[in-house]
Amino acid sequence: MADTTPEGAGSGAGIDLSQFYQVFFEEAGENLEQLEQLLLGIDLMAADDETLNSIFRCAHSVKGGAATFGFADVAELTHQMETLLDKLRRHELAPNASMVDVLLQAGDALRAQLARHQNAGQGEAVEIGALVAQIRAMSSGSAPAAAAPAAAAAPAARASAAASAAPGAAATTAAAAPTGSRSLELVVGPLDAPETANNLIELFSEIADLGTIEALDAGQAADGMRRFKIVTSSSDADLLDLFTFHVAREHVKLLPLGPGYGFHLGAPGAPSAADAGFGFFDNAPGAPNAADAARPGALQAKAEPRTPGKVVAAPAQAEASTLRVSVEKVDQLINLVGELVITQAMLAQTSAKVDPALYQQMAAGLADLDRNTRDLQESVMSIRMIPMSIVFNRFPRMLRDLAGKLGKKVEFVTHGEATELDKGLVEKITDPLTHLVRNSCDHGIELPAERLARGKPESGTLTLAASHQGGSIVIEVRDDGKGLSRPKLLAKARERGLEAPDSMSDAEVWSLIFAPGFSTAEIVTDVSGRGVGMDVVTKNITALGGTVEIDSSEGHGMSVKVRLPLTLAIMDGMSVGVGKECYILPLASVVESFQVKADTIKSIGGSGQVVEVRNEYLPVVELRRAFDVPSFGMSDDGAVMVVVDADGCRAALLVDELLGQHQVVVKNLEANYRRVSGVSGATIMGDGRVALILDVGSIARRARH
Amino acid sequence: MHSILAVDDSASMRQMVSFTLKNAGFNVVEAVDGQDAFEKAGKHDFDLVLTDQNMPRVDGIELTKKLRSSPKFKTTPILILTTESSDQMKQAGRAAGATGWLVKPFDPAKLIEVIRKVVR
Repeated sequence: MADTTPEGAGSGAGIDLSQFYQVFFEEAGENLEQLEQLLLGIDLMAADDETLNSIFRCAHSVKGGAATFGFADVAELTHQMETLLDKLRRHELAPNASMVDVLLQAGDALRAQLARHQNAGQGEAVEIGALVAQIRAMSSGSAPAAAAPAAAAAPAARASAAASAAPGAAATTAAAAPTGSRSLELVVGPLDAPETANNLIELFSEIADLGTIEALDAGQAADGMRRFKIVTSSSDADLLDLFTFHVAREHVKLLPLGPGYGFHLGAPGAPSAADAGFGFFDNAPGAPNAADAARPGALQAKAEPRTPGKVVAAPAQAEASTLRVSVEKVDQLINLVGELVITQAMLAQTSAKVDPALYQQMAAGLADLDRNTRDLQESVMSIRMIPMSIVFNRFPRMLRDLAGKLGKKVEFVTHGEATELDKGLVEKITDPLTHLVRNSCDHGIELPAERLARGKPESGTLTLAASHQGGSIVIEVRDDGKGLSRPKLLAKARERGLEAPDSMSDAEVWSLIFAPGFSTAEIVTDVSGRGVGMDVVTKNITALGGTVEIDSSEGHGMSVKVRLPLTLAIMDGMSVGVGKECYILPLASVVESFQVKADTIKSIGGSGQVVEVRNEYLPVVELRRAFDVPSFGMSDDGAVMVVVDADGCRAALLVDELLGQHQVVVKNLEANYRRVSGVSGATIMGDGRVALILDVGSIARRARH
Repeated sequence: MHSILAVDDSASMRQMVSFTLKNAGFNVVEAVDGQDAFEKAGKHDFDLVLTDQNMPRVDGIELTKKLRSSPKFKTTPILILTTESSDQMKQAGRAAGATGWLVKPFDPAKLIEVIRKVVR
């Protein structure tokens, strides 16, 4: 039969399951993430079925994989969670806050367990005994049959099902066992010393109620694995707890005894009764009739000739709609596209010198190349873009724990979770954002009593919002807490020996908190307030080419806006010539440009120069002077003024000529050389020259002071 | 070559099942849930459907019912993957018209053993 089929018999065995571990770890991680989100979002008063089912499914899915791939500890904990969640979704128990707490803790423990398995068992084992006991107490706590422990309920049901089975099923051990107990296969190992497993046999003789155990392998270990049959009324968790006295938990596997599968008698496609003489039919009462009625179907299924056309010649198999690719591969792709962009720019520059009328086809081809390169670049860049929700999702849990610890009530609101940001930026922005959110919760939002006394709602609101603004993304952390106190900040600054005149603008006062070691927290909590932090936050964000702005109103709250470039790798730039040098201005910050006569530039107060543009006097920055570019006696007559705007701070840059607009591949100057003030990076131009990309924001700010 | 429709919302389980079956010489089409499976079942013929029970959108029981109501799948073996503690589920599977069940966790060899009993 099976041996005569063309499909190589027995080749299903010997598959190395470890090849699926990585997928399982990632999937389990996602499931746990989702579990946490759902638990945090659950409305305990009116939890809907869909949510409860989804939560159940997360635990269920992790359990299924863990059991299949042999992560017994993960399977055990998820099994307990599943039992509780099953009762919740069946409305046998009502969800409450402590259940959510325990399930969240269980989620954390699972993460730790998975991390340990991912490191091939390195690190400390995760202690889950107390957690398991807690979950089990909750599962059984308000169970309808309070007299019977929940753990015994399932075996009882199984035994009664077995009792009602057809005579063929009577041979199964479950039916032969006393009511309430069940038969399991216990697999132990791999063990260095397989005889240690014999201690388990003693365990059963020492503990009266535990049940019976017998070796299935006559004491012979195959590959260090020992197999036993046990009949017990104890739960899996109890058994595992007991066994850990002798063998490590991860070496113990409890399996249902018996074939582990079955066919419904007479169901379509089921083997005929004679064939399936295993005694594992799951017969409902009145089975003979059902079998009679269905048997022709079964026979027909068997007799049906298999026409060749019936079998699909595997079409390109529709895989799931996403593909996991390592970040390195994507980055390599981006680098290559970056090089391609440079090559393309070089070709475009070279071709500008030839007569388009003579080389029409080449010009058309180059135009296509230009467009395709740009499209390719955009597509490739979009691979790295991930939604901000990835970052935002970690905060509800953190805030919940934090607010609980501080005795505060905080409502968390997010806007613009779908806003996409480069993966590299997302990773780097997470820590600074976490810090800002903690700060807001710890120092900003007041205790409930204090809030009520000030006529505010008891719960504070912490808002995280992300949005696109021009060429950058703005992430705002806003709270409706006590805000910053101007007098306090000034006093603190003077105490620390910082220069802090009363004439400072609000914005300048607020930015004092970015000074190293500066903290106005009256009490240093274990959450924040040690005076390290805000300076690190700004440093990290500045390193990403971003800026931080603070706005605050004492008694009403505070807002911190983090502005970041959309992507680190490629930007639109305007190239300008100064002497023999070429500089790049980020196109997003260029407002306008115009030819300027030397006499329209006015000198004020010594060295400063201004130019009047649309009734506004703008500081003039002469790039030639700022960057010490050698002059070749060109007059200022033909000079061009480029007005730039960085975060509302405007300045007019004086350059010799405008060269053009390009997309430029940003190369980090710090990594390749060192930090240069007024320069944010460098790029390679089409002709192979290196051009510096100007940090317009810092140039404009310096000009205004 | 026999074709099997393997349905599971868990990517790791799907990969494991699919790999095992392909290794044993079957042709495998994967589906991520009951809905996806039903759509794929409409486009191809299969000699066996192997489905997980608990899935978003359309679960294994629903899928079985839907497949059985189509003439094309009247007699095709449908196996449901289930967890150990669900006798109730087995009954539901039976009522929906499933051919049999396989308890999770199972090892690859067991999977092939069971499948060979109904597909040959």
